[in-house]
Amino acid sequence: MVRLITHNMLACHVKNCTKDNFPLVFSEVELVIRPAPENLEFIQRFLPKLDWTALVDTARSLGDTSLPETMPDQITEDQLKALHHVLMEMHIEEGNMTCRNCGHVYPISNGIPNMLLAEHEVGR
Amino acid sequence: MPLYVLRLSLEHLSFRLPSLLSISQVFGFKIKFVSEDPYRGLLVVEVAKEEDINHILERDTLIQSATELYAQGTSYEELQTELRGKLDVLKPYENSTFKFTLESTNHRVPESRAVEVIETFEFTGLKGKIRLKDPEVEFVIFEDYDWEVASTVDARYERDGKFKYVFFGRRIGFGTARHLTLSHAVKDRAYYGNTAMDALMGFLMAGQALPAPGKLIYDPFVGTGSMLYAVAHWGAYVIGSDIDGRQMRGKMKGKNVRPGILRAAAQYGTEDKFLDCLTYDVTRSPIRRGGWIDAIITDPPYGVRAGAKRLGRKEGKKPQREEPYMFPDGTYSHKRPEYLPPSRPYELANLCLDLILLARYLLVPKGRLVFFLPTVNEDWQEIDIPKVEGMRELKVGEGSVQDFGKWGRRLITMEKTAVDDGLPPTFEDHDEFDLKSGPEYLPGHHGFNKRYASGFSSRHKSQTASPASDRDPSSSEHQAAPPAKNGLEATASLAAALEKTGLAE
Repeated sequence: MVRLITHNMLACHVKNCTKDNFPLVFSEVELVIRPAPENLEFIQRFLPKLDWTALVDTARSLGDTSLPETMPDQITEDQLKALHHVLMEMHIEEGNMTCRNCGHVYPISNGIPNMLLAEHEVGR
Repeated sequence: MPLYVLRLSLEHLSFRLPSLLSISQVFGFKIKFVSEDPYRGLLVVEVAKEEDINHILERDTLIQSATELYAQGTSYEELQTELRGKLDVLKPYENSTFKFTLESTNHRVPESRAVEVIETFEFTGLKGKIRLKDPEVEFVIFEDYDWEVASTVDARYERDGKFKYVFFGRRIGFGTARHLTLSHAVKDRAYYGNTAMDALMGFLMAGQALPAPGKLIYDPFVGTGSMLYAVAHWGAYVIGSDIDGRQMRGKMKGKNVRPGILRAAAQYGTEDKFLDCLTYDVTRSPIRRGGWIDAIITDPPYGVRAGAKRLGRKEGKKPQREEPYMFPDGTYSHKRPEYLPPSRPYELANLCLDLILLARYLLVPKGRLVFFLPTVNEDWQEIDIPKVEGMRELKVGEGSVQDFGKWGRRLITMEKTAVDDGLPPTFEDHDEFDLKSGPEYLPGHHGFNKRYASGFSSRHKSQTASPASDRDPSSSEHQAAPPAKNGLEATASLAAALEKTGLAE
C-alpha cells in the first residue's frame, strides 16, 4: 500500500507548514508492483481530482516515465492504462515521505504511513 | 406495473425500507411500497421489471424470497375469485413442470391442510407435470398471520387458517445476500478487534453508502476495518484511517508482515479494493483537498468499549508542548520509534458535528455519509442531528434504530446537497457543546461514554440549583431563560444533573 492515488491526496500538515508542502517526497523506498483489475472509467472520473504535475514528478522519482509531462487534453486508452498502473499498482511498502518545506519525515512501514504529528507540531 | 411479494426477515425492521430504497438507488430503478403496513413478514412492492427484483435478491441481507404477485385477498375465496378473472397470467407456464408451496408467516400450517389448500387450485388448469424437485416454475401461496404466542399444538391448530392476508404468485428466487452474514461472520474473520461490527449490521450499513464498482469509500475511524469489508464486497474501493495504527496492523510486527486489515480483506477476496490504510488523527489530517470521496462510512468509537481520541492534551492538565522535547542525551523524544503523541478524549457531540462538516468537504455532490450514533433513548430528540448547510439527512419514518433499552444506536444517512467542496472543517471544539458556557440544550449523545458508565442516570431529575451558576455568574442568565425543549426541567438543573453524573468537567 501507499499507492500514488492516495499519495496525490496527501500534503504535510505540520502546524504552520502551508507552502510547498506537497507532494511529499519519497526516499529509501521499497516499491512493489501488484497487478490490480482495471477500472478505467474510475480512473477517467478521478482524473480532475489529481494534481498532474505532482503525480508525474512522483512517478518519475520512482522510475516510472510512462506519463507525459503535461496532462493531455484528450486522454487515450493507453494513457488511462498507464495511469491505472501508476495510481493503483505501484505500492510503497517501506520508506519515507518527506515534506520539501519543513522536512518532516512520515515513515512508512508494512505499507502503512505514520502521519501522526508530534505534540509540538499540532496546531490548536 | 407488476407487483411482487417480498418475504423479509423481521429483524432490524427499521432498516428494511432504507435498505430496499438504497438498492433501488444503486441500480437506478423505482420502487413503490404497496402494503399498507410495510413492516409485516410479507411486503408487496411495485417495480418495473423482474431484473429489479433480482438486484434486491442479490443485495438485500434481509430478504428471504421474492414472488411475482398474481392475486391476493383476506380469504381464499377472495383470492381465487381474483385469480379466476386473470388466468391468462399463468398461460406462459401452462405446460411447464411445476410445484405448489404453501408458506406462512408467524405460523406453521399443518401439512394436512397444506395439501387440501393446494388441491383447491386445480381450477388453474395447469397441464405440466408436477415435479417437487427442481420444477421449472414454483407457485407459492403465502398466508400472513399476525404475531401471537401459540406455544401448544392445540393453540397452533386453533389459529390455523385465521390469517390476515393471503397471496398467490410465482417465485422469482431466493435472497442470496443472507449467506454473506455467515461468510463474513466476525468470529471466522482472519483479523478483528473487540469493537468489530457484526456482519449483518455491517452489510445493512454498507448498503446505505450505495457501494458499487468504481466508487471510493472512506472510513476515518477505521479501527480493524469492519465497516469496509462489506462495501468492498460490493466492489467499491476503500481507504481507512485511524489515530491508532495498531488497530489496522495487528499484533504481529516486523518487515513483510501484512497488516491485519489486509489479511481479513484477502480472506474475502477484496484485498485489491483496499487502496490504503493510514495512521493519522482525522482532526489533524494530511488530506489536501475536498470533493473526491463518494461515501464516508464509519462507526465512530463512542466509549462503550473504546473512546474516541484526538491529538492534544486534556484541558487542565499539562499544557501542550510548543517546542520538541530533548532528552539529556541530545535526542528528541518525537524522533524515537516508540514515540506516541499525547491524546485527549474526543467528545461525541463534537465528533458528530465534525464528521458531518468533514463529509460536506470531502464528499462529491450527492455523496453519502453513513454512521452510527449512540444515544440515550430518554434524551433523544429530532434536533440532535446537527444541521449543516449542504448536507441533508435521509430517513424513513423515525429513522433506523437498534434499541438496547436505555440506549440505542441510530443509523444516520446523509447526502451532500452542496455542489462545491467548501472549506475544510477547523475541528475546533464547538462552543454549543461546552459545559462552561452553560448550554441550553445538549444532544442525547453528548458525553455518551460517561453516561453509559453511570448507567444512564437522568439528566433532568435533579431539583437542586445549578452549582455551575454558583461558580460562574455569567451563566446565571441561562438559569432564567426558558428551557429550550424540555418543558419544566430548567437548564440549571440540567447542569446540576450533569455535574452529578460527572459530566461537567
